[in-house]
Amino acid sequence: MGLVVLLGSFAATLLLGVPVAFAMGISAALTFWFEGLPLLMTFQRTISGISAFSLLAIPFFIFAGELMLHGGIARKLVNFAGTLVGHVRGGLGSVNILSSMLFGGISGSAIADISALGSLLVPAMKERGYRADYAVNVTVTSSIAGIVIPPSHNMIIFAIAAGGGVSISKLFLAGVVPGILMCLCLAIAAYVLAIRHNYPSETFPGWRAVLVAAAESLPGLVTAIIIIGGVLSGVFTVTESGAFGALYALALTGIVYRSLSREDFRLAVVNSVRTTAMVMILIGFAASFAYLLALYQVPAQLSDTLLSLTQNKILILLMINLMLLVLGMIMDMAALILICTPIFLPIARSLGMEPEQFGIMLLVNLGLGLCTPPVGTCLFVGCVVGRIRIEEAVRGIWPFYIAIAGALLLVTYVPAVSLGLPGLLGL
Amino acid sequence: AEEWRGWNIHVEEYPVSMAWSALAELVEERTSGELTAKIFHSGVLGSQPDAIEQLRLGVIDFGVFNLGPMGQAVPEANVTLLPFIFRDVPQMYALMDGDLGEAIGEGMRERGIVPVGWYAAGARSFYNNEAPIESPEDVAGMKVRVMNNDLFVGMIEAMGGNATPMDFAEVYQSLRTGVVDGAENNPPSYESTNHFEVAKYYSLTEHLIIPECLCISLKSWDALTPEQQEIVTQAGQESATYQRELWDEREAASLETLGSAGVEINEIADKTAFQEAMAPVYDAYTADNPDMAPLVEMIRSAE
Amino acid sequence: MTAPNRLTAGLDVVLRLLRNACLVVASICLVVLIASFGWLVFGRYVLNATPTWVEQLSLLLVGYITFLGAAAGVHDDGHLGVSFLRDGFGPRVSSVLRSVSDLIMTGFGLVMFTASTELVRFGWSSQLPMLNLPEGMRAIPAATCGLLVALFCGVRALRRMLGDAPATDAFLLENL
Ligand code: NA
Ligand code: NA
Repeated sequence: MGLVVLLGSFAATLLLGVPVAFAMGISAALTFWFEGLPLLMTFQRTISGISAFSLLAIPFFIFAGELMLHGGIARKLVNFAGTLVGHVRGGLGSVNILSSMLFGGISGSAIADISALGSLLVPAMKERGYRADYAVNVTVTSSIAGIVIPPSHNMIIFAIAAGGGVSISKLFLAGVVPGILMCLCLAIAAYVLAIRHNYPSETFPGWRAVLVAAAESLPGLVTAIIIIGGVLSGVFTVTESGAFGALYALALTGIVYRSLSREDFRLAVVNSVRTTAMVMILIGFAASFAYLLALYQVPAQLSDTLLSLTQNKILILLMINLMLLVLGMIMDMAALILICTPIFLPIARSLGMEPEQFGIMLLVNLGLGLCTPPVGTCLFVGCVVGRIRIEEAVRGIWPFYIAIAGALLLVTYVPAVSLGLPGLLGL
Repeated sequence: AEEWRGWNIHVEEYPVSMAWSALAELVEERTSGELTAKIFHSGVLGSQPDAIEQLRLGVIDFGVFNLGPMGQAVPEANVTLLPFIFRDVPQMYALMDGDLGEAIGEGMRERGIVPVGWYAAGARSFYNNEAPIESPEDVAGMKVRVMNNDLFVGMIEAMGGNATPMDFAEVYQSLRTGVVDGAENNPPSYESTNHFEVAKYYSLTEHLIIPECLCISLKSWDALTPEQQEIVTQAGQESATYQRELWDEREAASLETLGSAGVEINEIADKTAFQEAMAPVYDAYTADNPDMAPLVEMIRSAE
Repeated sequence: MTAPNRLTAGLDVVLRLLRNACLVVASICLVVLIASFGWLVFGRYVLNATPTWVEQLSLLLVGYITFLGAAAGVHDDGHLGVSFLRDGFGPRVSSVLRSVSDLIMTGFGLVMFTASTELVRFGWSSQLPMLNLPEGMRAIPAATCGLLVALFCGVRALRRMLGDAPATDAFLLENL
């Protein structure tokens, strides 16, 4: 009965348009009250849900991304990508995807990716005769790669949700190949569409220009090397690496490039506060919600049900993916990682799947949800950046969905895609 | 019939958990099924400090808690966290089953917690990757990870070392890369976390012998009939005896595993030098908590 | 300008000031968080002496950033939500549903405020490790957030009843 109250009130408030985070808090509070338990439990769980030490990396990653954006590093990355792949058919689409890959290697935030690259590339693409929806869709879907290419704060949320036993280093490495694979799939989709729409290509500026642009963007890319290298070598903890990366980006843009004005700094801080708060409040209220799910033993029951339907590994993984896709359409990533990991990870493990492979599968799947209506943060921000309506954008987005779904299938059914690289490096 | 919710940080196969399941069965049998228990293992209902709060609020009915986190809410519990306060584990048992346990239990009751049995968590000792620790001087200059608590930081500083409070999950990596030189824990934890792979000197300083406590929420306790309270108390004590046996077995097994894995284990016959080095820690503690001085004295003057 | 509109216009200014105060405090917390972590890294790797207070202080600061930033987000209607159903019914029904949602949020904000205040009181006698601060301080931003959410959403519902629809929808566009 309590479970009905929890899920029912959640669905009702969500459909009324109450923000997702608060809908979880409200339904949790209502359920605590219904069970005759103290209401303050809701907020005790919320406060302690955000007080995990490794979550501290989140504001650092977000801040580093904002500094890239406001300190001009994003522009240098786009420039580099432009010299490298601008000359293929529909060149700016490929430039967009490659930029996302590079930028995603620095920031773990898909939203920072879209606002940084989208605001540079979408107007440029429109000017060269690309359709607005194409420009927005390329930007939005390629930003998802940044979630699986390390570093990524969503990987940290997953490691917390998995409750220990997941190595962050291994998880970081496991994301590299799937991230590149996603970009390749998206590039194919973008290329096919470019031929169909007869989009232009840019002139190749010569290898000298490529080298110059590479040299210019190198100091920015070092941020990624610091964060990832710090974690992989074990010299820094994840949190320290994040802090160090953010401080490096600050020194680079503020002191070396002098491209960060006081106003830029203020904007970077305030935007980081907004984004951090949005992510963390979701994590907090999701912790309350997940506490009740655990109290009602939902994870155990759901996995029993699923396993009683079939024992076929391929089918079970397919069902898990479908459920995640549906949930990803209506809810945000951080909350879903926290709620779904305790439910599905034990099932995946019982099928012999490594937790790191499951984590990457989860992130790619929920990443797709970020680009779908009705709740799709990335799609939403992309439409704002591109100044088009959501209905307009989704009309032509199908080829890109198919590209990500293809990558998702590979990650799900071919362990080597995610586990190959960490295996090669002995993890 | 009443079903109690139990909180447990450990996995189902841990000594605490096994003793506890035994307790639940005893209670169910003796109350003819009037009182049953559902135990949530592996900390799914939250961390230790959170669960203590939930216990006081009556959200969970019972749980097994370490007196470390308990000290944040119940100041009396903090005396058991003073380094080298107990001579050895048997002395700790004797005191906790007697006057000391009574006094700490009083403090817990005042804050809505009823203790019904004192469990074992062994003795914590230092491990490091440099050399065996024989005397306090060996700790000087060493970076040692400790739990987040002023007393433990003070303990390392009193020996001239660098105390490094750090999240438990980060300790393995930090030992491997030399961010810290050592840490401290009881044998089963040192063994099961594989920390011995990256720190192979284990020195049995037994500096902290912190008891654990089987606790009932006062709210749930008050809802019991006097007969049921009697049954729960009795079962709690029986489960404590059982848990201490299980703990000893587990500890012996861990030490054997460690030995065969090439860990260099050294015993410390005379701990006087360590105890004397702790004087500043005790002085600071009794200066800050003058009302706890009698409890400290009670332990130190015990046989 | 009609009388109720003057009233809500005045309220708007006050609420915006509160929103800005939240963002300023949260921003300061973020800067302190980054600086103290810089100090931790410096202390640990250069001075060989880890500052022992950084970890616990950081956890406290994140609470302030989260709850104050979230309250500002409620003021700006910047949180994620599902609006297709609410807005699918046309402007009149949508306006009613928005008011219902705002009233629910107001009620929840009040619950959050009272319950978190209780948590502050409950935790005031416990100590945060390493900081010598009362544990109850962790719940202060949650209580503040609850009160502000109630205020922001309550005023929004009130304005709609007075026939003076708040222009929160356009916000995201102009602030990116
Ligand atoms: Na990334
Ligand atoms: Na979605």
